[in-house]
Amino acid sequence: MENEENQMNRKELAELIIRIADSEGVSGNETNTALLCKSELLRYTDKAEIKNGNVIAHFGERSDKKPHVLLDAHLDRVGMIVTSITEEGFVKADCIGGLDRRIFPAQRVMIHGRENIEGVICTLPPHLKKDSSVMEKDQIFIDPISDRETVSEKISLGDFISFDSPCTELLNGRICGAGLDDRCGIAAIIKAVDSLGGEYDSLPYSFTVMFSSQEELGERGACIGAFDIDPDISIAVDVSFALCGGEDPKKCGELAKGCMIGIAPSLDRGLSQWFINHAKANDIPYQLEVMNGTTGTNADRFSVNKRGSKAVTLSIPLRYMHTPAEVIDTADCELTAELIAAFLKAGDVK
Amino acid sequence: MSIKINKELLCELLEKLCKIDGASGQEDKVRKFILDTIGDKCDCRVTPLGCVIAEYKGKKPAAKKLMISAHMDEVGLIVTGINADGTLNINCVGGVEADAVIGRQVRLESGIMGAVGSRAVHNMTEEQRKTAPKFDGLYIDIGALDKADAEKQVSLGDYAYFTCGYAQRDGIIRSKAIDDRAGCAIMLAMILENALPYDCTFTFVTQEEIGLRGARTAAFDAAPDFALVLEATTAADIPLSEGDKRCCVLGEGPVVSYMDRSTLYDRELYRLSVKLAEDMGIKRQTKTVIAGGNDSGAIHISRGGVRTCAVSVPCRYLHTPCCVINEEDYFDSYALSLAMAVEILSGRV
Repeated sequence: MENEENQMNRKELAELIIRIADSEGVSGNETNTALLCKSELLRYTDKAEIKNGNVIAHFGERSDKKPHVLLDAHLDRVGMIVTSITEEGFVKADCIGGLDRRIFPAQRVMIHGRENIEGVICTLPPHLKKDSSVMEKDQIFIDPISDRETVSEKISLGDFISFDSPCTELLNGRICGAGLDDRCGIAAIIKAVDSLGGEYDSLPYSFTVMFSSQEELGERGACIGAFDIDPDISIAVDVSFALCGGEDPKKCGELAKGCMIGIAPSLDRGLSQWFINHAKANDIPYQLEVMNGTTGTNADRFSVNKRGSKAVTLSIPLRYMHTPAEVIDTADCELTAELIAAFLKAGDVK
Repeated sequence: MSIKINKELLCELLEKLCKIDGASGQEDKVRKFILDTIGDKCDCRVTPLGCVIAEYKGKKPAAKKLMISAHMDEVGLIVTGINADGTLNINCVGGVEADAVIGRQVRLESGIMGAVGSRAVHNMTEEQRKTAPKFDGLYIDIGALDKADAEKQVSLGDYAYFTCGYAQRDGIIRSKAIDDRAGCAIMLAMILENALPYDCTFTFVTQEEIGLRGARTAAFDAAPDFALVLEATTAADIPLSEGDKRCCVLGEGPVVSYMDRSTLYDRELYRLSVKLAEDMGIKRQTKTVIAGGNDSGAIHISRGGVRTCAVSVPCRYLHTPCCVINEEDYFDSYALSLAMAVEILSGRV
């Protein structure tokens, strides 16, 4: 508690979440987000670098006497990519990651060409639409807010496209925006590191923070990053479904009820149990997320990396996943950070 | 005939007007902006339904009484219920499609922000993914903890608005509410520029989007011989639509219709628009689909009948958060409507 007044408070955490969430960073194009996250980490260590798309930062002296922990969250967010440009200057696009095309009509996007050019996803007026149909995968066209010449000069095939929906603050510390999955996870890890107050060598673990690329395309960044890091214990911090109208309560956590601790056959039960026990013993709100196989998070990669590592998934509950209006509660992010920091200090799991 | 177009003023007015929130029935802030802008240039009165009737004094009396009209209201959302979990049920005000609302941020009239969420795509069946949303299933999440918490911030009947901001680049403008703030902006510019040599009545009307209601009362009040309705109209010149289905095309000039679902326009005025556009060397087009309608529907059958014409800016994605227009079409709409007004007011029609 010695440095408490110097530590990141909830308002600063919210600002950090928003700062990271609003950065570009569609899968495969995470450079801006990576640079931002690296600069955030350089406040805590001088050993931060970007390697093959992943941000990697080491903390504490690694030795055979201490287990090595990997803290991971993914950099990338879902988006689209330019696949062709019509003669009239419309941009045809395909999805990157799992997107809900029901929300596409007249959505505002940013095309990251040689410069950023705004666009609107084309939609037919009601009288030309077939009843209650949703646009097909091969019908995604974007209307750039620009003229034909500029479009052909500035936009190329393969340029990335993100939803242009910067974060805003809702009531009760909740945040709404397009890039919260998994930027709130990144913020939770930074917050956890922040709360260690610079004391890394005295911890029972050495650890590496990785902000990994291309999770939405099949945990690819996690796969190559973990190979180099070769951790003994891996903690994947991601988001999971928070209950909202239309969702099944049996399959969801709830906002403001704390970190969702993952339990799954593919995760290390002892590791999950440590988090549960610690939360219970210290009256830290938490929730359980039970899965019946793998998790769909980077933990699936970490657990089978090289000769394997004990892995757990900690999830921040999030509503309206993969839409431009995702919602999280800053308190959940903070509670997740608290669990991570406590784990690093305890050293119970070997 | 050459017409001076103050493009800077037109752009400035449009941006200011579009940024104001004013759905049908809540046009107050738009009305205030209009009265503040032209209050000292016109003799203004406000009707019981909130329309502004602005009597402009030109240098000469007009041969015929002309009413130039645009509507102040935009489409929006209205809160119809508050759920136990603190979310707000909503319905549309005017013709908004649910798929243009889902998955984006909105601003409540009190200024607080909200998300119109959707359950995660991961948890939907293939069938559900292919079914367009309906307003029934939509709600606004303002971050409230429960019903009581939400009730501190929101009341039933509160409006909510699109939040997409305003963009202008390379001759293209993107904003909410271009329908029909474009018409309002053109009228304000005509007044501020003293563009008309004759007396003229300008009406800024309410409740167009829910059934041409303000215009009906304003037309009765103004009792004109002629009416010129300034609008934004659906353009579908996008991929997946071709030929006549495009209705009209951005960059091809103002749209003057001969017929829509509400009006058979005065044929002489329609022909006049064609001739004036030719004389001025500006583009002009007509719609290739008989669809939609505007305040002309109410105005042309007001009292004993009003000879009516509508000049519209072609607009993609009308009634969505992201209307898109071409600047030149907007400027030319100003020029063409001004030229028509002069012809009518001078008694040459």
